[in-house]
Amino acid sequence: MKNIIKPTLILLLICVISSAILSVLYSNTKPIIEQNQKENIENARKAVLPDAVKDKFVAVDVNNVEEGEERFIRDSIMFYKGYNEDGKLVGFTFQTAGQGYSSSAEVKTMVGIDLNMKIEKITIIQQQETPGLGANCVNPEFTRRFTEKDPAGIKVDKDGGNIESITGATITTRAVTNSIRDKFVELQDDFKKQMQGGGK
Amino acid sequence: MKPVAEFTKGILKENPVFVMALGLCPALAVSTSVENAIGMGAAATFVVLCSNLIISLIKNFIPDKIRIPCYILVIATFVTVVDMTMNAYLPPLHKSLGIFIPLIVVNCLILCRAEAFASKNGVGLSILDALGMGLGFTLALISIATFREILGSGTFLNMRILPQSYKPMIMAILPPGAFFTIGLLMGLINLLKKKD
Amino acid sequence: MELSNLFFIIISAIFINNFVLVRFLGLCPYIGVSKKLDSALGMGMAVIFVMTMASVFTWLINHFFLSPDTGIFGYDLTFLRTIAFILSIAVLVQFVEMVIRKSAPELYKALGIYLPLITTNCAVLGVSILNITENYNFIEAIVNGISSGLGFTLVLLLMAGIRERLERAQVPKALQGMPIAFIVAGCMALAFLGFSGLKF
Repeated sequence: MKNIIKPTLILLLICVISSAILSVLYSNTKPIIEQNQKENIENARKAVLPDAVKDKFVAVDVNNVEEGEERFIRDSIMFYKGYNEDGKLVGFTFQTAGQGYSSSAEVKTMVGIDLNMKIEKITIIQQQETPGLGANCVNPEFTRRFTEKDPAGIKVDKDGGNIESITGATITTRAVTNSIRDKFVELQDDFKKQMQGGGK
Repeated sequence: MKPVAEFTKGILKENPVFVMALGLCPALAVSTSVENAIGMGAAATFVVLCSNLIISLIKNFIPDKIRIPCYILVIATFVTVVDMTMNAYLPPLHKSLGIFIPLIVVNCLILCRAEAFASKNGVGLSILDALGMGLGFTLALISIATFREILGSGTFLNMRILPQSYKPMIMAILPPGAFFTIGLLMGLINLLKKKD
Repeated sequence: MELSNLFFIIISAIFINNFVLVRFLGLCPYIGVSKKLDSALGMGMAVIFVMTMASVFTWLINHFFLSPDTGIFGYDLTFLRTIAFILSIAVLVQFVEMVIRKSAPELYKALGIYLPLITTNCAVLGVSILNITENYNFIEAIVNGISSGLGFTLVLLLMAGIRERLERAQVPKALQGMPIAFIVAGCMALAFLGFSGLKF
């Protein structure tokens, strides 16, 4: 009997000590980790809408705009409104995602739209595409190609459109382009409604 | 003389990756850039150092029968410490190393040092052994990553060293490149050893 | 939808994201136990078995103990995941070894010597963690476990077949043994690269 009790107690003791250490560390690092993630998204939002002020973005819960419409229920906050120093509406930002070449993660993009309904800037916030090919989508040389384009009309050049695709990575380009276009088409009425409403 | 030898053996003579073939998974998976290699090397060195230290301290209290579970527990604790600390203070590196941080637990290098060295030697020697092994592991990672990053992206530590006109050999940073690089490097080491 | 999803997980785990050649998991046994076809087969079977069991147990542990939403404690214990998973895998392997030894001596003779090695096989812990990070449900986790094991066994057998032939080939002295094994693995990885980007 004694042969069982002693090892069990020692193992238990080590378990308790290590869990205690980890829980203390966890409670200390968790707020920092969450803060980092929040800041990353906020920085991305600011990056795609440079005229807006970072802490003056307002989330728009589309459920309140179009009450009862089924298409919004799955994701209640659909886009953000950006304001400048004087509290004037300068544009909108939204997140979108499309299936790229990698099967393990989608390509997530943050998109900024100005008041003329043109793309201000985009930035890739998550991707696991092939290094050297699709992964080049994070480079400004690629994201710049979207600036000033009409988001409802963008298409990859291989599909007869106006977005030059990344060499050797048409699928990634298509994932980014199509996800932006589809989400914009879905949201554009709400953008217009927000502009007419004076951006309250 | 002996302490010095315990430190230096890990760097070349018993290099964990090239000679003992331990810790191969992270060595191949995260060696796409020198930056990742240094990050992974530092993380693994920290874990092997702490676990060697603790295990050499508590080795006399642990009954022989349950020593492996105890070692694994100690190692897993430090791995989680690294995981959380890196996630909080170095989020980009944490993201690019991904699943290979929790997998340091099963890096055979660390358990092997705990079982083969720390459980039989004193604190001082165990620390030296851990430092040497950690350094050897890091150097191996860096040497693989150097080849892969220069060939595959034309850069070293994110600084461009090959001219813009160089068309990167993308295969080097894809999985096959990792296997070819480590195979050829091991062959090179064999060749150098024969000459001695 | 459900079925096609499972099919996608199977194909993805075996070919597209093959554990050994694409994800770089389980390399130590892949290089170490691939000298003979018989032992490769034994190792492969043991890995399939343990991976499936580990997927089941670690998923249940995560669901009922660690997760803050569904766990019985109601606390967020995800920071203990690494410890909990590696310990349960170690216990599981030990338990499987005892059961097989008692109930199926023949099977034990075939698999016995490989079982202890599996605790430190990163593929087993890897599949457990991936099941959680990919948000698989219980069925998907089991399917992923089985097919990842199958993918591992497939490349292990292929490798063993090639290496048995290499014995008789003239390999430069410096490359004999492990170096040539890695170069062969590189060629296989090159072939498996052709599967990536497979779409359904």
